[in-house]
Amino acid sequence: MPYYPETTVVMGLARITRERRLPPNAAPRPSHTLLPGSTAEAVNTVLEGDIFREYRILDVAEELRLRRPSPEQLAEIIMVKEGQRALVGQELARRGSGRRARVLASPAEGQVVLVDGSRIILQLSERTLEIKAGIPGRVEEADSRFVRLTGNGALIQCVWGNGGYVYTSYKFLPEGGFVALSKQDPRISEYRQTVLISPQPVDKGALLVAQQQQIAGVVAPSMASNLREFALQLTFPVLLTEGFGQRRPTALIYRLLQDNMGRQASFNASVPDHWSPDRPEIMIQLPSEGIVPRTPALDQPVRVGAPVRITRAPWDGLVGEVVELPTQPQRLANGLRLPCARVRLPDDRVEWVALANVELLGQPV
Amino acid sequence: MAAEHVNSVLVGDMGSVHTRLVLIDLVEGQYRLIASSRARTTAAPPLGSASIGLEFAARHMSELIGRTLISEDSESLFYMPESSGHGVDAFLATSSAGRPMRAFLVGVTPEISMVSGRRVLGGSYISIVDTLCPDDQRSEEEKINTLLTNQPDLILIVGGTDDGADDILIEQVALVKTALSLIRYGTMPSVLYAGNRALQRRVRELLEPHTEVFVAQNVRPTLRDERLFPAQIELAFAYDAYRSKPASGFQTVGTQSSVGVVPTAQGIISALRYMGELQEQGIGPLFVDVGSANSAIVSTVNKQVQFGIRTDLGVGHNLVSAFEAITLERLRDWLPFDISDDELWDYAQNKQLRPATVPATTEELMIEQAAAREILRLLQDDVRPAWETASDLLPDFQPIIAAGAVLTEAQHPGISALLLLDALQPVGQVDLRLDPHNLVSALGVIAYLKPVITVQAFESGGLVNLGTAFCPLGRVRPSQDAMQIRIRLENGQTFERTVKGGDMWLASMLPGLKAQVTVKLGRGLTINGKRRIKTVVTAGTAGIIFDARGRPFVQPRPRDRAARFMEWQFAMTGRERRPALPVAATGAAAPDQPGEAVPLPSMDDLTAEPLDTMFDLDELEF
Repeated sequence: MPYYPETTVVMGLARITRERRLPPNAAPRPSHTLLPGSTAEAVNTVLEGDIFREYRILDVAEELRLRRPSPEQLAEIIMVKEGQRALVGQELARRGSGRRARVLASPAEGQVVLVDGSRIILQLSERTLEIKAGIPGRVEEADSRFVRLTGNGALIQCVWGNGGYVYTSYKFLPEGGFVALSKQDPRISEYRQTVLISPQPVDKGALLVAQQQQIAGVVAPSMASNLREFALQLTFPVLLTEGFGQRRPTALIYRLLQDNMGRQASFNASVPDHWSPDRPEIMIQLPSEGIVPRTPALDQPVRVGAPVRITRAPWDGLVGEVVELPTQPQRLANGLRLPCARVRLPDDRVEWVALANVELLGQPV
Repeated sequence: MAAEHVNSVLVGDMGSVHTRLVLIDLVEGQYRLIASSRARTTAAPPLGSASIGLEFAARHMSELIGRTLISEDSESLFYMPESSGHGVDAFLATSSAGRPMRAFLVGVTPEISMVSGRRVLGGSYISIVDTLCPDDQRSEEEKINTLLTNQPDLILIVGGTDDGADDILIEQVALVKTALSLIRYGTMPSVLYAGNRALQRRVRELLEPHTEVFVAQNVRPTLRDERLFPAQIELAFAYDAYRSKPASGFQTVGTQSSVGVVPTAQGIISALRYMGELQEQGIGPLFVDVGSANSAIVSTVNKQVQFGIRTDLGVGHNLVSAFEAITLERLRDWLPFDISDDELWDYAQNKQLRPATVPATTEELMIEQAAAREILRLLQDDVRPAWETASDLLPDFQPIIAAGAVLTEAQHPGISALLLLDALQPVGQVDLRLDPHNLVSALGVIAYLKPVITVQAFESGGLVNLGTAFCPLGRVRPSQDAMQIRIRLENGQTFERTVKGGDMWLASMLPGLKAQVTVKLGRGLTINGKRRIKTVVTAGTAGIIFDARGRPFVQPRPRDRAARFMEWQFAMTGRERRPALPVAATGAAAPDQPGEAVPLPSMDDLTAEPLDTMFDLDELEF
């Protein structure tokens, strides 16, 4: 029976399709709808909408001191309709004219959601939402709430992000690490506004240096989980390729980043959510030179010969090759009996690894 | 197909990590578990389709039993009805995967109808985001805001006795109507009405123009009566509708199932209700499930079902929130090695990032098993008030059934038993069972279709018998004789053993062997009120278990804890730490001969292959 493991895409060149959506509670701004076939840069806003929050119930009769107003009277007094936007201070209802006129003004910006008798219910605007393309590419499909884009490039999926996003160039951490970086003048530093790649786990000091040096983002194998909340507050993206604690970097990922140094890349540090299609990832835009790259394969079974990345100790972060897939479960060192693969590690050792602890890299077979 | 013609049923349970399939069929006039299979759940992105995992599991099952299950017809996932030994007559689905449903509870009296409302919601994967009742001092504007800004998926309205006063309840319903009429963007919550029967039509008229309304019988038809089951059934339909909304493939699966996609927990509750009905008054079975994202406890006392579902406790998707609820201090009670807080949190965060992975080292395994023990303790705390017991001891549930890979797939059946004994601390003589295939939930949901299958399949087995555990009540004295045990097999072989206070002993025997067990207890210890018991038991996969740690169980002193823990782990894999006492064997050789002192087990010892069972069928003649 084939086993279908998780897939974390690490590919030097792939055709990447990404969908962007407005959250269900956002009201779209249809004026911003893109046309299929158009191109978008990673930093372009592809969807725009308004998020509304609480409701205000405004009683026209009470505010304008009306006693049992008739529907006709209310129709004359109320100046807004359902669905209409209202600005702060905008007149919603007016009784009389001139200096003696009584006016009900909108207490905040929002949308009139219901006019029911003498009540106006206003839903207040919270913020305007702008959703970026995230990857440079071509618009395949679009409406006011949804855009599908396709682009070509190297793709590295990570395991954790702090919610930030940036599209810029990147550099590896200088020799001497963050200590050396802290001594540089941030105004003239060559690392300013670039994303910093650290092949070693980062600590709080490193993130503080990155903040002080106006670094555009940090990519590292891991950091202590007690820095999670701190990292979530940072204004620049932080991406972890392996996880939390002291984790070994996946050599393949850092080699790929090294090979493409100097190029622009999109660093999308989405906070992972199992039930969301968004994953933290790095996409390095590459010319396809007329070739249509292959789409990452996400539903492949493990096969003999397949490269797999090991995700748990003691070989976490290593990429090996499956050399055997026995049909019977095997007993691991800790006594658990599980479906396993024999995996050739980079140093040529062959070890049993639980199938649950390997992932494919998205490379089509 | 009419239920009376259904003979074979395939039930798929889509958990957060695994999708399990069980096939029940009629064999020689009896419904039995025929086969089970498992695949990874594929409901979450990037695949985002629960039916893919289901199909993988079905193909695997087909390979195992040589029976075609997958339909070539694009309209139907499974080959139905059964024909010429292929396909099945019916398919049913349960699921615990996905985000818990967010529910808002609206009621009339906090101490009556809303308590029942909470119980209805407590039987599924639901988090209650807020409640509303007439006593609420908030303004209308605040009430509407709390109802809508919490973005519930479901509003449960309860209240009023049948044909009782209705004004107050109608006011609440009108408030819900106003709130629903304001929703312009986002999810429109569905409504489940389980209040005053006389208002059902009025409620439909008010709310159906805005949303889907499910109507069930009143949870409190009179002040004294509580009827949760009809509301739970309707809740299952509401859950199915909720699950079908996002693009996760549940809709496809739901259309194949004649009852939609039922919450797994609801299947378990239904099954326990049937199991409770099968026995006389008194205490029935206890079911516990520790999953990746959710955990559940369901019990029956006097044919009444008590349950607690926790959507924040799990050993995968929710390990971080489980650690928060457990506290690291309590977790360490079960860890025989030093580990810093930071390392534990790193572990939990990493496991949450990759919940489908499994522990690869002994230490990692112990962390997850420690979490499972404490999750079971928290579940017990939640449901204990409903048991209405005078003491903190576990009532005499019989049997105790465990589900969830962390409990059912331990490194040795004895360790599965140890986890249950440590966490639940049962008293007396208790049968321990495992449900590795989620059969209990499957049979519970089959009861909706054809209850006779549920009854017969339970009777014909299908659960893994771990064994009987003897757990005396009373305080033990360390190193003093606590249990003098005599085991007599059907062929006359007899074995004797004395277990000291604070120790455990696993009599490793081939599963299925019947043995007469006589236990004479030390001073201050009793089982079922007696100091000497004689009973016949059937050995399980773990054998027969003797837990001489006393009840209530007292954790050893901190300085002794690691050593004692290792001894228990060692003993429950069928190995010995101490030399056995001389025994008066009346049959063949004693299971453990007196010998040299064995050093304290180390972590490395625990990783070794478990020993073979003490008795081998080939050596035994009947």
